[in-house]
Amino acid sequence: MKKAIFITGLLFSIIGIAFAQTGVKKRRPLPYEFGRVVINNYSEASNIAPVVFDHWLHRAKFTCRLCHVDIGFGMKAGASDIKARDNINGYYCGTCHNGTRVFGDTSVFSSCKEGSGSMNATCNRCHSLGKNVTRKYDFREFVKGWPRERLGNGVDWEKAEEQELIMPYDYLEGVSIKRAKLVVQDDFKISSKVEGMPDIIFSHVKHTVWNGCELCHPEIFVGIKRGLTKYSMVDLYEGKYCGVCHNNVAFPLLDCQRCHVQEVK
Amino acid sequence: MVHIKKILSAFIIALTVPVSVSAADYSESLQYLLPPAEYFGRVVLDNYSHKAGVSPVTFDHWLHRAKFTCRLCHIDIGFAMKEKMTEISAADNVSGYYCGSCHDGKRVFDGREIFDSCAEDYIKNEGKRCARCHSDAESEAIKYKYKTFSEKLPKLPGNLIDWEKAESEGKIKLTDFLEGVSYKREPLKAQDDFSIKTATWTSDVIFSHRKHTVWNGCELCHPLIFPSTKKGTTQYSMKKIMKGEYCGACHMSVAFSVWLCDKCHTTPVKQ
Amino acid sequence: MKNIARLFFIGFLLFNFWGWGFIVGGCLNTVYAQEQGDWKQEYAEICAKTQNAMGLSVTELKDRIERCDKLQERINKLEGPRAETEKKVFTKRLKMCRELYNFALEYKEHKE
Repeated sequence: MKKAIFITGLLFSIIGIAFAQTGVKKRRPLPYEFGRVVINNYSEASNIAPVVFDHWLHRAKFTCRLCHVDIGFGMKAGASDIKARDNINGYYCGTCHNGTRVFGDTSVFSSCKEGSGSMNATCNRCHSLGKNVTRKYDFREFVKGWPRERLGNGVDWEKAEEQELIMPYDYLEGVSIKRAKLVVQDDFKISSKVEGMPDIIFSHVKHTVWNGCELCHPEIFVGIKRGLTKYSMVDLYEGKYCGVCHNNVAFPLLDCQRCHVQEVK
Repeated sequence: MVHIKKILSAFIIALTVPVSVSAADYSESLQYLLPPAEYFGRVVLDNYSHKAGVSPVTFDHWLHRAKFTCRLCHIDIGFAMKEKMTEISAADNVSGYYCGSCHDGKRVFDGREIFDSCAEDYIKNEGKRCARCHSDAESEAIKYKYKTFSEKLPKLPGNLIDWEKAESEGKIKLTDFLEGVSYKREPLKAQDDFSIKTATWTSDVIFSHRKHTVWNGCELCHPLIFPSTKKGTTQYSMKKIMKGEYCGACHMSVAFSVWLCDKCHTTPVKQ
Repeated sequence: MKNIARLFFIGFLLFNFWGWGFIVGGCLNTVYAQEQGDWKQEYAEICAKTQNAMGLSVTELKDRIERCDKLQERINKLEGPRAETEKKVFTKRLKMCRELYNFALEYKEHKE
């Protein structure tokens, strides 16, 4: 009996080894897909298509700070635990998507509604995963003629703002606190480990104009003393530190020379 | 005794499963053994063609390889490194992405206007233009044939083009920057060449960063194909390479075939 | 006359029994209701200086952190139809504000 068990065990282990899997390469998102987040805390459980949120449209109209600090969205899909009830109560998406708030000359369509038993066309504007929904704003039309850059959305957002093609809102009435003027911290250098790679000049100016301070400190960047945290590209590609944004919303890490700018003397 | 016999026979029968799986693994790679040179580097793109009722696109690398660096298409334009992974649609081309970055009917290259890819409305006699891509390489619509194109270029065994030599002899000149597609960057310093020790009887590999970065830049390989920059961390195996991982991402399908062993295993064999 | 006096007396007793309850309870409720509304105002006041957290003194940072902690306790006790959402949202917003002040405080204390 023992022999039988031993042999059977050996049998299975050999077969197991033969079926060992190897890794698969990741697909690069298309320019209009870059920054896409699928939100599915409760949708699927409620038999509704999960929400597909493409960053680029909101990115063109609001600062990162407005949504991620003032409204309070998390920095990872599913982190905010958004329910329809929250939207109905006027928080998260419902802060603006309440049918009454006006931007420019458009009133923002209402998100989730009380007693909405069945899904209608408005619901499908967000709850669109797996559905063939025609978006109101087409990416290619929207960014036509804008300064281009490689990778990511293919758009140079910095230049677009300089040229006033986008003028992101940074204050929402009834939501944002009236804050004192932002005092910008210094730019500073981070030396690179790999020989020959230029050093990184980190620009506080460029980041705080869109993010404020709380978005990064201390949740993403804990270290209070410069040089204490040792960053590695592996960490970044796993979505830590710079990788929180520069993996899937801001220009991707693959664009080395955007950060590695200073020649090592 | 009978008990053991039964188990043993079951074992032998069961053994055929992993053995055949492994054999299947390798046999898949055998198809790359020595393909006809004009098929080497062929990629069939069929995300939507079939569904739309048109022939899938047959893209033979050699023509573009002779005119552009790998980096230009795979990083600046953004083509993926695997068949059908980019998911190119006609709408993308019409909007000036992917093939449409150059194939827009307006861009002038080498003194000629590059033909337009896809269109929003088609008329019947445009079929010939479409067939330049949406057909197989034997089609009459294909303008450049491998035989005539590669006649004057230096060759490797198997009638493959020796691209390195072709470039060093000045027979091809590669474009690395396209207006409106590429963006000026400070060039990064090329990393050192280094040797990789092999675990078997084969000679060590001398990997040349210099030769690779002149066509690929850094981003093409790091980190998607080679995640770790610390030498010695990754264990390479010919099996993985033949499955298209690591070196195999290019050297199984577009760059010189892995079957030309001595192109990489260059250190003299220890006597 | 005696009946009126008796009525007054009973009324007085009843008032003392119930009336004060209503009056005091009512006052407390008003205060509580104000407090409920005030907590948002308090949040706005505490977190108005995040744009220059590094410019605040150690004392002020400590004070604001303390106020954040107290406010968090109030937020935890919120009631009403929107309480669950408000707790979730404002806990996150207050946390970001508090942690930033704490970050600045640690930086300053470390320097000293």
